[in-house]
Amino acid sequence: MGQPMAEHLLAAGHAFTVWSRRPASADFLLERGARWAESPAELARHSEIVCTNVTGSADVVALAAQLITALKPGSVHLDFSTIAPPVARELALRYAEKAVEFVDAPVSGGTAGARAATLAIMWGGKAALAERLDPLFACLGKTIVHAGAAGAGQVAKACNQLVMVAAIEATAEAARLAAAAGVDFNKVRQALAGGSAGSRVLEFFGAKMAARDFAPGVVARLHHKDFVMVMAEAARQGVPLPVGGTVMQQLDGLMAAGWGSEDTSRLLSVLERTAPAHLL
Amino acid sequence: MNIGFIGLGLMGRPLALHLARAGHALHLWARRPASLEPFKDVAARVHVSAAAVARHAEIIFVMVADAPDVRAVALEEEGIASGARPGLIVVDMSTINPNAAREIGAELAAKGIEFLDAPVSGGEIGAINAALTIMVGGKPEVFEKVKPLFEKMGKSITLIGAIGAGQVAKACNQILTGVGVAAVAEAFNFAAKSGVDPARVREALLGGFAYSKILENHGQRMLDRNFKPGFKAWMHQKDLRIVMEEAHRLGLMLPSAAATAQLFNAIVGSGMGEEDSVAALKLLERISAPEQ
Repeated sequence: MGQPMAEHLLAAGHAFTVWSRRPASADFLLERGARWAESPAELARHSEIVCTNVTGSADVVALAAQLITALKPGSVHLDFSTIAPPVARELALRYAEKAVEFVDAPVSGGTAGARAATLAIMWGGKAALAERLDPLFACLGKTIVHAGAAGAGQVAKACNQLVMVAAIEATAEAARLAAAAGVDFNKVRQALAGGSAGSRVLEFFGAKMAARDFAPGVVARLHHKDFVMVMAEAARQGVPLPVGGTVMQQLDGLMAAGWGSEDTSRLLSVLERTAPAHLL
Repeated sequence: MNIGFIGLGLMGRPLALHLARAGHALHLWARRPASLEPFKDVAARVHVSAAAVARHAEIIFVMVADAPDVRAVALEEEGIASGARPGLIVVDMSTINPNAAREIGAELAAKGIEFLDAPVSGGEIGAINAALTIMVGGKPEVFEKVKPLFEKMGKSITLIGAIGAGQVAKACNQILTGVGVAAVAEAFNFAAKSGVDPARVREALLGGFAYSKILENHGQRMLDRNFKPGFKAWMHQKDLRIVMEEAHRLGLMLPSAAATAQLFNAIVGSGMGEEDSVAALKLLERISAPEQ
């Protein structure tokens, strides 16, 4: 995700410094004129806005611990990662002590959206930052929404994952039901696409399931990781998510089967191994 | 013996008193001074920190809410580790994530401190009557040293396995009790909505294969509409959260526990967290009735 996003920002003419745990992943950007920093702190010294896009809460917290030592007052840490809302809130408080802004800006749209600069970006942080950030967001995505204060972007992303993965599970269940009843899911899919059940998830993941193509788009373990955060937030807020709880379990089953590095359309296979066709 | 006790809440207080009555010298520290009131008349010394307790005790019991609290008491500034003498044994009776227990045990071991995880089942009444079930993880030789003290607090004391194993057993206990309470509440609500007296149903079922202590005890409290804790719903929610965290970490299918965890989210979210878990019945009644 980070690579095409960085490429778009670089192409827009910004003075660009990069750092990466694996230096090789930055080569591509260095060839296009980006400067290399030896550490996150050095990168922070050269930047008014530092963008990060890493895997989880722990990675962002570790990076922030280094960035905070070098970021100047008034600068911004703009994090595109999907992390736990309370972690984003906590980081914003810690940065505020140094008069540095923290913005959580998780994205939706996958690598394809990142490449085409059509991401949905939901961000949390001070509304006044929009003036400075909107031109950057415009290089990366099409739907830019300020969701509220720090952490609000992550809450929006949690809702996004809840709706999307639940829809993938519903699609898998439809595929399983159709197949068990001897009906071609491709036909079902075509019929449904034109009606009220039509959705992007049905279109994309439905096609993958029908083709039994489990090569990832987004690897399932990332959806699993995001869903763990969704369920933690539900417990924290005392909100029942009956469907969410069940979908989480199916994702746990997917991980148990060893499909974490494949596509989330493997949720179909979880249903199949729960009640195998030859036993039905 | 010089014994430390940290965490003098609903459960910790009666357990510490049992140890004092058995003739042991208690060393106490509490965040809230009010928790120390009941110890005025027993042989107990109050200290300024967990570290100070550790300087005087051979064994320290900890009974707090959750993993971060155990970590703070054991390992953070002015915690047990900073005052411990070699060979000190820390016994954590809190219910926390098994993996967190393993991590805390390893960090203490690196400082030459022995650790047992020893969560309990049986609630406040079990603590007061010294009738708890105690599930222990840790080294057998450490367990043997602490066992005579466990016997002052509980009736069923089992070494389950290595550090963390006690918490795994407790997690299993919470799956059974959480799902069990939910099942009894659902059955009683089902009976009542069908125009049948749940009390008669309970009586009949107690003689059959559906007999359980939960049907007997929790069921009776539901019939009495006695929602006083017992075991607070928010703690049950927390314990089910621990169960599900482990399920997510290990890739485990626990569909019934998952649904029950969501039910407990709703109990806490609708303001019944301080009531007993049997408040599950009130939630089911409310969501099964027409909106007022």
